[in-house]
Amino acid sequence: MASRAANVVLSRANRMRQTLQSALEASVLEIEDVSYQHAGHAGVKGDANETHFNVKIVSSKFEGQNLVKRHRVVYDLLADELKSGLHALSIVAKTPKEIGS
Amino acid sequence: MAASAQISRLHPIISPPLASRKPLISFSRFSPSFRCLSSPLSLSRPKTLTKPSFRNRVRASIRKLSESESIPIAKVPEDLDASIPAAAGVYGVFDANGELQFVGISRNIASSVDKHRKTVPADLCFSVKVGPADTATATADRTVLQSAWKSWVEEHISATGKPPSGNLQGNYTWTGAPPDLRLTPGRHVSLTVPLEDLIDRLVKEHKVVAFIKGSRRAPQCGFSQKVVGLLESHGVDFVCVDVLDEEHNFGLREKLKSYSNWPTFPQVFAGGELVGGCDIISDLAEKGELKAILQK
Repeated sequence: MASRAANVVLSRANRMRQTLQSALEASVLEIEDVSYQHAGHAGVKGDANETHFNVKIVSSKFEGQNLVKRHRVVYDLLADELKSGLHALSIVAKTPKEIGS
Repeated sequence: MAASAQISRLHPIISPPLASRKPLISFSRFSPSFRCLSSPLSLSRPKTLTKPSFRNRVRASIRKLSESESIPIAKVPEDLDASIPAAAGVYGVFDANGELQFVGISRNIASSVDKHRKTVPADLCFSVKVGPADTATATADRTVLQSAWKSWVEEHISATGKPPSGNLQGNYTWTGAPPDLRLTPGRHVSLTVPLEDLIDRLVKEHKVVAFIKGSRRAPQCGFSQKVVGLLESHGVDFVCVDVLDEEHNFGLREKLKSYSNWPTFPQVFAGGELVGGCDIISDLAEKGELKAILQK
């Protein structure tokens, strides 16, 4: 019970971070809530709160995966968030080689 | 026929006039949407265009591009009517530098030119040459007009090595963008096939489909607007479907998410397969791969 309450209190960004970090072992993981930029556009019910995020992930798990596959991996990991009000994700998904590190 | 071979080699690039319904067209059998025609040269007569006497008649009745004089396009509609015939025929529009931008055919050339004058930037739409169908020697039916269109475009290609830029596929400056597709006629009509099947058919029938929020002319979301802008600026020939249109595309928003296994919009399909959303399209555009992926 206590842990569930703790999860709800955690912001969406933090929940996303936990999920993505543990699944993808990302070397770079940046999550930015940009919902304010989309306030008032079509399809956003109620106020624009934690609805739109920019996500940048660098992970070796993306090796050999094309862009569509990488995006699908991220979407699948965040499926619960997408069902509960997360509306749009801007995803940058690269491998360590691609960013030259 | 060397000339028709040349055009058919090019036809993936040029959009022949009034070809909106059928993507793959061979010039010898054409069916554009001329409505009020009862043509004496019916399409059931095979290969009329190859008969030498007919070809000569066509050439004689509609003069060549190079033989037509240039008429400046007046800014004021009243002056326009005086100089440009309201007849059926072929016409070519030239820009302010005297370069041919577009060749079109019309039931009423003056009216078509007037429409261009209103919607196309003035420096592109500067003067016009007309080839009215001479009703004494050939009726202005579709085969005659198309043949004239073809010969004017060929004339231009022989002179310059390429077709007029306004006639290239994906260039909507002169013809306007294709209308947004609708999956159903409206909510009053119940579906006889599952929505997934309709989606499946749609993405397979059209080379490039963009499912967006809002209409092509008025997207209602920044990502959708960006995708429409990128596709248009790359000259991609594509159609749009408005997932927010509850009247004609009821249930599409949810159904498409499961059909594509993709939870967000816009979604761009090419060759029946999902290419991706705004991020992927932007990425492909930056890398210069967009047109290649969408047109293979």
